[in-house]
Amino acid sequence: MPETIDIRKGLEVFRARLGEADAAHLSACVHCGLCAESCHYYRMDPHLENVPARKLDLVAQVFRRHFTAMGKLGLQGHALDEGMAKAWLDAVYGRCSLCGRCSLNCTVGINLPRAFKAARAALTAMGMVPADLQATVDNSLRHGNNMAITREDWLETVDWLQDELRAETGDPLAEMPMDRQGAKILFTVNPREPKFFPLSLQASAKVFWAAKEDWTLASDGWDLTNYGLFNCNDKEAGAITRNLVDAMARLGCETLVIGECGHGFASARWEGPEWLQGTFPFQVRSFLEVMDEYLEEGRIQVDPCRHTLPVTLHDPCNLVRHGGLAEPQRRILDRTTSFFQEMTPNRAENFCCGGGGGQLAMGAYKERRMRSGGMKAKQIKDSGAKVVVAPCHNCIDQLSEINKEYKLNVQIKTVAEMVADALVTEPPTGEP
Amino acid sequence: MNAVLVAGAWCALLLAAQVLRARAYGRKPLFAPAAGSPAAGARYAFTGAMLPWAKESVRMNPASYAAGIAYHLGIAAAFARVLVPSRLLSALALLGAAAGCALLVKRIAKPHLRGLSNADDFASNLLATAFAATAAVPAAERILPWACAALLVYIPLGKIRHCVFFFLSRYHLGAFFGRRGTFPPAA
Ligand code: SF4
Ligand code: SF4
Ligand code: SF4
Repeated sequence: MPETIDIRKGLEVFRARLGEADAAHLSACVHCGLCAESCHYYRMDPHLENVPARKLDLVAQVFRRHFTAMGKLGLQGHALDEGMAKAWLDAVYGRCSLCGRCSLNCTVGINLPRAFKAARAALTAMGMVPADLQATVDNSLRHGNNMAITREDWLETVDWLQDELRAETGDPLAEMPMDRQGAKILFTVNPREPKFFPLSLQASAKVFWAAKEDWTLASDGWDLTNYGLFNCNDKEAGAITRNLVDAMARLGCETLVIGECGHGFASARWEGPEWLQGTFPFQVRSFLEVMDEYLEEGRIQVDPCRHTLPVTLHDPCNLVRHGGLAEPQRRILDRTTSFFQEMTPNRAENFCCGGGGGQLAMGAYKERRMRSGGMKAKQIKDSGAKVVVAPCHNCIDQLSEINKEYKLNVQIKTVAEMVADALVTEPPTGEP
Repeated sequence: MNAVLVAGAWCALLLAAQVLRARAYGRKPLFAPAAGSPAAGARYAFTGAMLPWAKESVRMNPASYAAGIAYHLGIAAAFARVLVPSRLLSALALLGAAAGCALLVKRIAKPHLRGLSNADDFASNLLATAFAATAAVPAAERILPWACAALLVYIPLGKIRHCVFFFLSRYHLGAFFGRRGTFPPAA
């Protein structure tokens, strides 16, 4: 927290984010309270502070005071002062994963996360962004990835994984190409993969190998994450996106494929062009769409009998509700296992795991994050599944913590891991 | 009746000014290629998304949804009743007034709703409910225009301004989710 808070700067940034939609959303709440139960924070801890409309109200009060005629006359709203800034911090950073479930359930149709993001942006401009979240952004800006993995470590890890892939497939020519000029696909990954989950990266590589894809990794610009989406500093978010755009230009690839990460997909597919104020000269796709296509076109074959445990699917908010991708992962799982069952609710109605909105990078709110994750734990328990598939490494981290905390005893996997484990390079057993 | 006309003009002018002010913030150009149709999303937001089974918040609170519908219907009937004497309109207004009372009781009784509420929430409810009740009771015929005028004067000053912002807000939410391919949901 800075010694003096620059309120004027905060208001300037807040104002700059407002468009017609925001002005409407900030003027429309009727305090009906029907959004309360849509929020996993409120469900697990039914306090006023966790009601989405309460969080919205704090932002709307400031809007009303500073940007409406009645407010300027001092008749409505509340000024943005130190107390209000602290209330904002607690509400929009500390009690919200920007999952957007409340907006689907709002009586009026208010896009609440938009308002929360404007408040986050103002807080960031006032130097009130949680330090650990900002450190994650700074890592990306300084080192090109959010975990400050060195170039050497990245290259060595890929080299080692390539050896593993060759051993696993028995193909001495199996590759994890690095900086291949003119490859059709540039595949980007979450730094958690080389750092903690190398087998998940190997699984993706195995799928590309089986599909005989013309693909590459990049020595620079390989991290798909963008925590600028969460500190809401569009300049920093744009600079991080620029890493990917530059890698695409340097390697001359056709399609940027985003590995399994909800916010990474939303950042590159939806927000990146807005941050950089221009349409990308290439296509941005999720690895899920690519794998779905491989299966549909018969470029890879899978044997669903390899997975014998009941499987359920978690819908990452940034991929599904905010990303518009709900079906490819389902088609993939339908083909990959005979034991797939939905959790309830699902698709756009699904609950956040609790780790969204940068919560995993904000230590101060860990207790709330774990409590709010109880909703997801309940969904998983109710599904009866033994395997939870989550196409998002952020979610996987949170789900792993929930798994321990709520004693779920489930395995947690990416979609690529499910596909890689079911891959058959000869006709599946039992087929002619 | 003159009071109603003056109050109506005030209400319309202020609401128009507020909407124009909101629209003056402008729409930023969007550069990410759309995955779906903003128009189809907006259409869905005003149709399928408003059906009682489409939203968990309604599925969990069917009584509130029903009360909300009755309340709005009752208020609309009360406005019509100012112009046309009709038993049917009076009956609908009575239903609306009852729903308004029920929603007021809910606001006071539920802790999270009570905490969320401010003076405007109570003023808005009381004015609208009183207006509907006035339209429902033949004996109150003489004060009906005044109840109507009071409500019209208040509308742009408080949350009843959602009578216009509802449309703008829902349109934008629908267009946002439509563009991203979330609305309308896959069959
Ligand atoms: S965006 Fe998600 S976490 Fe935030 S208030 Fe809405 S439902 Fe709750
Ligand atoms: S459902 Fe919408 S209108 Fe009702 S209190 Fe929540 S945010 Fe406000
Ligand atoms: S962590 Fe996962 S579930 Fe939670 S908001 Fe992000 S994408 Fe959604």
